[in-house]
Amino acid sequence: MAFTAPPDDAVKYVESLVWLPYHYVAGDYRAVYLRALKDKRILGSRCDKTGKVFVPPVINSPESFAPCSEIVEVSDCGTITTFCIVNIPVIGRNLELPYVAASVVLDGADIPIFALIQECRPEEVHMGMRVEAVWKPDGERQGDHEDILHFRPTSRPRSGEWPRPL
Amino acid sequence: MAQLRNVAIVGFAQLPVVARDEHRTATEMLYPAVRQALEQCGVGRDDIDYQIAGSTDYMDGRPFGFVAALESMGSWPPREDLHLEMDGIFCAYYAWLRMQAGYCDTALVVAHGKVSEGEPRRVSNLQMDPYYHAPLGIDATASSALQASMFMARTGVSDRDLARVAARNRKHGASNPDNQLRSAVSAEELQNTPFVVEPLRAGYLPPVGETATCLILAAEGKAERLCDRPVWIHGVEHRSELQTLGARDLSRSAGAKLASEKALAMAGLDRADQVDFAELAATNPAEEMVLCEALGLDPFGTRPVLNPSGGPLCADPIMSTGLIRLGEAFRQLSGRAGERAVSGAERALVHGQQGHCLQTNIVWICGTKRRWS
Repeated sequence: MAFTAPPDDAVKYVESLVWLPYHYVAGDYRAVYLRALKDKRILGSRCDKTGKVFVPPVINSPESFAPCSEIVEVSDCGTITTFCIVNIPVIGRNLELPYVAASVVLDGADIPIFALIQECRPEEVHMGMRVEAVWKPDGERQGDHEDILHFRPTSRPRSGEWPRPL
Repeated sequence: MAQLRNVAIVGFAQLPVVARDEHRTATEMLYPAVRQALEQCGVGRDDIDYQIAGSTDYMDGRPFGFVAALESMGSWPPREDLHLEMDGIFCAYYAWLRMQAGYCDTALVVAHGKVSEGEPRRVSNLQMDPYYHAPLGIDATASSALQASMFMARTGVSDRDLARVAARNRKHGASNPDNQLRSAVSAEELQNTPFVVEPLRAGYLPPVGETATCLILAAEGKAERLCDRPVWIHGVEHRSELQTLGARDLSRSAGAKLASEKALAMAGLDRADQVDFAELAATNPAEEMVLCEALGLDPFGTRPVLNPSGGPLCADPIMSTGLIRLGEAFRQLSGRAGERAVSGAERALVHGQQGHCLQTNIVWICGTKRRWS
């Protein structure tokens, strides 16, 4: 029997759930970085050729292609280089709107990290603003990025060199 | 055959294949491989015009996982870059094509993938269509077993024959320090290993392994400066077949046959047995015998030597398995193969593949001399 249209009770779709488990290797550089967060320390790695410090640490400079063999500690205090005010909810985080997401160059680093700015009104945030990390209390830090709850304004002066432009 | 541009392999580096590298991410593994290959050529990253990477997001477990490779490949100032969700040996083909078109003179070809982080059997199942094949739970081993059964039924090849082919690979592979399996095992011992999916036994299948690989290609004029003994491309061709397993004769590889005929013709050769050795990306002995039949090679012959590296049975890091074959041709023909060197080798046939049951095949002919004067 030839048919020109599917019957009313045709299978209209096939549900196919993809389940793919992964067990990622952190890698030695990430492992040492994450472990240090437990002790309220932020680590980077220094480029053998240019001396620039990358946070989190990377095994080679994406800029110079040289290895970054030396692990160094940077400050948990830094300077906002750019920011945005977010007015829509973010997937996976329950944050009060609006909030500020900022790019922060930690003192001693040459590359910014991304940070949530709290404990101030969004309109007070500006480029060049000094901020410091607010850590989870002792005993609650797990060695992951949630160990830093957020950054907040600070009057702590800049330590070390002003970040060299990338 | 029209005259083409002479292009050569001028460098190759890989990390030894391991079951799981606990210390590095996929792209961190890539970094030392790229550096080693560049150091072989005595040049810096800025001396290479073009780059192309082979990896798979399904294996990486993240969308656009390959963009992380840009940092490990030294992609600053911004580079001309391409990515293929295919084995690196197909990336080499793209780079070769771009050189033929005159777009670049040198190319960095890399492949990476931390196979141990995911479950390759599930990933190979998802290569099948989601309506008819994937729900049956067919993975690459199961489809290979279907192929092996068909091939054995048609040709009369026995379990013992498969064991002999596997044993030959293991024997050759014992002297390759980059292999994951580095011990010679007799055919008898291999034939006594249990079936994984009948007729394929544990001893006929490679373990899960991972690495990172980097091959450097250069066109005539540059190649001689980057390498004391460049290995020239004489011919290359690739062919893809239908995805539906039932739509083709699994016991034969029409794609490999056609690709090799075209590649040999480009190289000015009549038959595959005119080369000194062949590197075949077959991941089990039945598949290797299907390939041998398609290419016109004797799986039990002495010349051409088959898989002097030990072949994928001794190390099968998905995404790099094919590129390693091309790397072995470079090592053999440029005097870098150490104790496993094939004596007097001047020409090689290299095979790569992708997909279930040899769905896509690529065949290269390489030699110590320039093809076109």
